[in-house]
Amino acid sequence: MAEILLKNAYVIDPISGINGEVMDIAISGSRIVEDASPHSEVIDCQGLLTLPGGIDSHTHTSGTKVNFGRYMSPEDMRAGRTSKKGHMHITSGYSVPTTYGNSYRYSALGYTSLVEGAMAPLEARHTHEEFKFTPLQDSFANALFDGNWGMLRAFEDGDIKRAAAIIAWTLTAVKGFAIKLTNPGGTEAWGFGKNISCINETIPTFDLTPAEIIKGAIKANELLHLPHSVHLHCNNLGTPGNFSCTIGTFGHVPDVNDKRQSLYATHVQFHSYGGSGWGDFCSKSEPVANMVNFRPQIVIDMGQVMFGRTTTMTADGPMEFNLYRLHHDKWSNHDVELETGSGIIPVNYRRKNLVNSIMWAIGLELALLVKSPWQCLLTTDNPNGAPFVKYPEIIALLMSKKYRDAEFETVHQDTEKRVPLPAIERELDWHDIAVMTRAGQARALGIIDLGKGHLSPGAEADIAIYPIKPDEIDPSAEYEKIIQGFAQTEYTIKRGRIVSRRGDAIIDGENTTFWVKPKVPAAYDMQHDTVFQELFERYYSVRMSNYPVQEEYLHRNHCIETETDL
Amino acid sequence: MTFILISGRTIPQGSFVEHKLSKGYQRATSTLFIHSLDLYELGIESGDRVNVTSSFGSVVLTTETTEDIQTGCVYIALGPYANAITGGYTHATGMPDYKDIIVEIEPTEDPVPTVWDLMEMVGGVRYGN
Amino acid sequence: MEIRDVPCPFCGCLCDDISVRLEDNRITGVENCCTLGNAKFLSKSRLQHPIMRKDGKWIEVTYEEAIDETARILSDAMRPLLYGWSGTIGEAQVVGVHLAEEIGALIDSTTSVCHNPSILAIQEVGHPGCTLGQVKNRADLVVYWGCNPIEAHPRHMSRYTTYADGYFIDNTATDRKVIVVDIRRSDGAKIADEFIQVKPGGDYLILSALRAMVRGKDEVVPDSVAGVEKVQLQRVADLMMKAKFGAVFFGLGVTMSRGKYKNVRNAIELVSELNRKTKFTISAMRGHFNVYGFNEVLTWMAGYPFAVDFSRGIAFYNPGETSVIDLLERKEPDACLVVASDPGAHFPKSTIEHMASIPTVQIDPCVNATTALCQVQIPVAITGVESAGTAYRMDGVPIRMKKVIETEFPTDQEILERIVTRIREMRSDG
Repeated sequence: MAEILLKNAYVIDPISGINGEVMDIAISGSRIVEDASPHSEVIDCQGLLTLPGGIDSHTHTSGTKVNFGRYMSPEDMRAGRTSKKGHMHITSGYSVPTTYGNSYRYSALGYTSLVEGAMAPLEARHTHEEFKFTPLQDSFANALFDGNWGMLRAFEDGDIKRAAAIIAWTLTAVKGFAIKLTNPGGTEAWGFGKNISCINETIPTFDLTPAEIIKGAIKANELLHLPHSVHLHCNNLGTPGNFSCTIGTFGHVPDVNDKRQSLYATHVQFHSYGGSGWGDFCSKSEPVANMVNFRPQIVIDMGQVMFGRTTTMTADGPMEFNLYRLHHDKWSNHDVELETGSGIIPVNYRRKNLVNSIMWAIGLELALLVKSPWQCLLTTDNPNGAPFVKYPEIIALLMSKKYRDAEFETVHQDTEKRVPLPAIERELDWHDIAVMTRAGQARALGIIDLGKGHLSPGAEADIAIYPIKPDEIDPSAEYEKIIQGFAQTEYTIKRGRIVSRRGDAIIDGENTTFWVKPKVPAAYDMQHDTVFQELFERYYSVRMSNYPVQEEYLHRNHCIETETDL
Repeated sequence: MTFILISGRTIPQGSFVEHKLSKGYQRATSTLFIHSLDLYELGIESGDRVNVTSSFGSVVLTTETTEDIQTGCVYIALGPYANAITGGYTHATGMPDYKDIIVEIEPTEDPVPTVWDLMEMVGGVRYGN
Repeated sequence: MEIRDVPCPFCGCLCDDISVRLEDNRITGVENCCTLGNAKFLSKSRLQHPIMRKDGKWIEVTYEEAIDETARILSDAMRPLLYGWSGTIGEAQVVGVHLAEEIGALIDSTTSVCHNPSILAIQEVGHPGCTLGQVKNRADLVVYWGCNPIEAHPRHMSRYTTYADGYFIDNTATDRKVIVVDIRRSDGAKIADEFIQVKPGGDYLILSALRAMVRGKDEVVPDSVAGVEKVQLQRVADLMMKAKFGAVFFGLGVTMSRGKYKNVRNAIELVSELNRKTKFTISAMRGHFNVYGFNEVLTWMAGYPFAVDFSRGIAFYNPGETSVIDLLERKEPDACLVVASDPGAHFPKSTIEHMASIPTVQIDPCVNATTALCQVQIPVAITGVESAGTAYRMDGVPIRMKKVIETEFPTDQEILERIVTRIREMRSDG
């Protein structure tokens, strides 16, 4: 078994309570251990910042929608192409990299686990195929349930347990990790070209409101004891004035789990808008952040927008159509029968555009106004807000008021009338950043017990060593060094092996897929439920026996079995 | 006589896809569907053979009458016979002009070549019988 | 013995409800198949052993000799081309892409001569589409443009459109309308509610006319467009705007006619326009059961759906330059490996003339037209019957093909892997 001893590592490990200790870390095989053996390969970290491997809790890297984004955008492919080099395959893509591109670039940033933000169960096989070619990060797939006919019907009948049973069957069948809801009710309405604008509005084809779907899903989630909470992309994304919908949604969230949040709301920047139209568009990060501050049962992630070109892609089909009407560029759409939708359009966020400038400010405000970094995690909803390679710049903006002010000088001049950002003095510190990019994710996802997100003995040896000496840098003033330092690790270690060195992936890698299998009693096994089977017999275009993702699509994998209250 | 030739899929052509050297495939892909009025103009009957020439080559086909196509247009199943008169110019799109090919059609007594014949005309060597 | 829910490895419909009856490891019957599927499952003739051409004659060789010769051909080549791919599963396509990257080859698939223009159009304006089940459950208007499903995708109409039961459609016979646009009165046209018989090459004009009408600008449309009466076009535009869910399916009649990708682009833009008034989707009728799979695989691995040139050490994509027909027309490739397709039957004469003049190898279970053009042919297991793997349906839904018979033949994936190994051995031998 390979063994490594990291000496003189400047460790910040929030979950283990370590904040800036220079210490040694011993690795044996794939895990961190108490003591190093004399045969260990010794790496002297020379006081460099050493964190648990990065975890991205919401990113779009694998699956039907992502691949659509690639192949409709050859210009994006050309913009990000790289050649073969050593072990590294050729890559293409700037905002939607090819699978190897995603893997190598995330690894250079020190990331060792990725949660695919949206997987349509019907097309799960595709996501798993792409996971295999993203070999340097462990994979988790959030399965979409927002328009799931079986689940919606059960909610209509008020039968939460049946809904939970259907969710359990589906997650097990498609090797999913968590319940994802995107514009619940809206994606189903989009099946006939409509959308939902209020969480209390009854959707056209089912006798349900989005609020009922969200509350029902939260209950079902807890009946199944899933590691993660419901993962929600709120209704009304992108609409001026939508902050009230977001706050209304948050108001419905009970506190039903003592180990983690009861709702994870994603890319909340896109849901914190004030105003009644584009003319009086403004930031409502303050009320949203306030709400989060008072509700420990809610965790959000930023969904930060950064200037430049990128590709928006989400399961929120109707929202993407509206965006297409604004941008007049190319538009793709893909509704998935009985389940969900999706849409893709390329965008360019411009400093000269007042709305874009306000959006940029809002993401930062959320991170600075939410008091606990455990409750506001760092993401860009990659690639919707910006490609993930921009994370170092975001870290610098959060750690340096000076950098924020310098950037603020370059945005639209009227921005300051619409956003509170210039008045916010707070600067996040190293510990905050460590929480927002890995420890917080591990807790929110419920994977600390799997050995993720921390460096205590027994944890998986997923480690990132950055070329930063925290005691020698003033992040507030030297933000350029922050950007450079976080952009490329000295070493990224995955399962105890060095996978990336100064930006280059040095081995082929083989990742692990984590999925859940709730243990459902026979009475609730949908496999033999005739009403559930009817969905396949009559309405799906694929046979029930061909629907589940077969064993062949899982190489190394970890099945998380959960006890259920059914 | 000048015509516009269109090629496309047919069931017979599709069903012989694993047996491209069979008589069935030959028949399916060397049949030229032509309007009865055009047959009349040419002075021949359904089942007679014609020589079809484009700027890329020529091939002998067997006619079959149809009312389903407009006069001035002829239709053939996609395959090596259609390709014998299709050019490789793609207008920089990657897609050759498989459809809307301008052809001259005249009656002939020449036999319809086999698929092997067509391959040997471009330098191939037949396998087996 | 009966195996149920077997996906059919013929066309892009990827029907997965086939029942196969077996006796002593032989298929004795199939149920639910169309004529094309039947032909695939019940096909009997195939090449029994690898063959090679020596001194103008065909001889039988071992797999090892065939693989050796293939590896030598590809190693010695300066501009090798790996073509085909649509008739095999994703796992083999992956090996092909890795091989192309490793030896700096060109790689392309049958997409190039089929729906390549559709992809070019999508790359210009996007693709508003959906899965086939959405159409089945919701569409009250179906448009078949430049395609003839009855002959090319025989069960399309009964599984996904005209005759399929839908959740939101009470009575398919009366509640669902069909419009067919074609240059000839195909069998599909005969059962349509509206048949537009367009002059060859006139699709672009018809689409523009419809777009004008959908935008309320009827006055710019002349009384007759490409052989079609304005009055009929108005009826059709009306049907489209009044539909609750319209699904457009288009085929080679649009991609191959004059205008090519411009035709498809116009159709997509018409559908995007209609989405401002009601719900509309557009889908390409992909031909082979896994042609879309190759697009998916090449895209996630290299960034582009077809026509990729790896010779520069990056993925380079320029259809019209790096696409197979253009390459062969320019006589660029000096060696060619054909997998799971038959260019001999489907390529223009001048291009197969070049193929016949360079060292060409084919991996395919059956003797076909391409056999005459190649120096080596390696027979393999029939995908979807004798070997399992992933295929992508015409709407992007991935389905796992099944293995229903045991076979002695190696799979194409195995052969490709052995070729890769042999090439590496040859390279390290210097």
